[in-house]
Amino acid sequence: MPASLVVEARGVSRVFPMSAGPVTALRDVTLHVAAGEYVAIAGPSGCGKSTLLHLVGCVDTPSSGSILFEHRDVAALSEAARSRIRLTRIGFVFQRFFLLPMLTAAENIELPQAEAGVAPAARRARTRALLEYVELVDRADHLPSQLSGGEMQRIAIARALANNPVLLVADEPTGELDETTGEHIADLFDRVHADGTAILVVTHNPTLAIRASRRLAMKSGSLVA
Amino acid sequence: MQWACHNPAMLTFVAALACAIALDAAPDVLVSRQLAARAHLTVGDTVTLAADANGARARTFRVAGVYEPTPDPMRFTAERIEGRLHLPDLIALTADPHDPASAESVNTINMTLAPGIDTRRFIADLASQAPGVTGWPTARSRDDDPFVVLDRFHLAISVVTVVGSTAFLLALMVIRAEERRDTIAILRMVGISRRSLLTSVAVEGLVTAIAGAIFGVALAFTTEGLVNRIFQTRYDTALVFVRVTPALAWRAVAVAAPLGIAAGLAASWTLLRRNILSLFRR
Repeated sequence: MPASLVVEARGVSRVFPMSAGPVTALRDVTLHVAAGEYVAIAGPSGCGKSTLLHLVGCVDTPSSGSILFEHRDVAALSEAARSRIRLTRIGFVFQRFFLLPMLTAAENIELPQAEAGVAPAARRARTRALLEYVELVDRADHLPSQLSGGEMQRIAIARALANNPVLLVADEPTGELDETTGEHIADLFDRVHADGTAILVVTHNPTLAIRASRRLAMKSGSLVA
Repeated sequence: MQWACHNPAMLTFVAALACAIALDAAPDVLVSRQLAARAHLTVGDTVTLAADANGARARTFRVAGVYEPTPDPMRFTAERIEGRLHLPDLIALTADPHDPASAESVNTINMTLAPGIDTRRFIADLASQAPGVTGWPTARSRDDDPFVVLDRFHLAISVVTVVGSTAFLLALMVIRAEERRDTIAILRMVGISRRSLLTSVAVEGLVTAIAGAIFGVALAFTTEGLVNRIFQTRYDTALVFVRVTPALAWRAVAVAAPLGIAAGLAASWTLLRRNILSLFRR
């Protein structure tokens, strides 16, 4: 595997056991994301996009095949080790933002840094820089409930970038936003990509997908393009 | 008439009383607050006392004071209709004039043994040297002391209460943890470790438990006076029924803190042991 690859999925399948019988969400998927690459995956609902994202993001492990994150087999790692990878090497952006409602915007961004052991002064500086990056310095002390959808997603992106990840994974990041706000988020992803962070995004939004350097499609649990 | 020795210096006298003509030379008598209230006595009043119900050899006394009887938890339901006489007055009142020896007789002598003397052995020696004299220790053995039994009863109640409240607390914590399911899912998704989450839950449980214990102790301190007032009024006694001591307060905190932490950890573990994706509500 080339040293520049951040993550690689090799013949990955994921089967979920259900009471009505096993459901195969992914079938023999092979994918790689190189450092600094911007990959978009499109496909209909239920085709396995999010499942693939969870495997690549070290949230889940495959039923067969393997996921290598920075040359390490994710399935062989402990939950604590996978948690550490998610904390320090991967940033997550969700469709529904998933900011912690009891924390302010700045505190949401500081939280992963605190968990990673960043010193208070350093994380305050980093949080300030990220708030400037997403142009929401004036909203630092606002709770998520006091922010608009677009603002919440920008804070979520800032949180995802808090520990300087090598890979940003985004699951329908514009799914809850209007077209104009979605454009702003897409612009922000372009900036993140330009700054050297690899991005893997699953989306229905063609204006977001078209900005990716590589576009893939999924259908019925398989990559088709 | 009944009388009993309560103090080496004083004797307690319980009798029916009637108001009488005042006499300047009347000896003093102290009456209990309850007796003073019932018989409408005040300091300076004179009363006539007799050793039997027929009023034989009645003598007149002057009420020199009203006292609050020493609270006795063994008799808190009894009305303290009592008076106290000087010993010569009591002897003069109760002695049989036809029996010269009656003024010399005593029923009971209270004795305090020097430290280290074995009570049972002393009683045995006394019985062998003074036939007819019976001795018994005033200190009760641990097994038949009613307050030891009461202590055990309280302990049983407290154990049941702690077990019940712990189950209730655990149920509340499980509900609270379930409410935080999404939050836990997000935190774990972004890489917050189980150890960090458990630590924060433990700290939260500790703070909550200590706050609850402090609230409980403060409530106990606050209601202590009220409870005592109610029962003191009900039984007309100065006996203290409830006392929250610092040792009790510390014990409450010491029991609550680990239980709070344990309940928090147990409830949170129901979420933390699960797969992250299963925590997200669809």
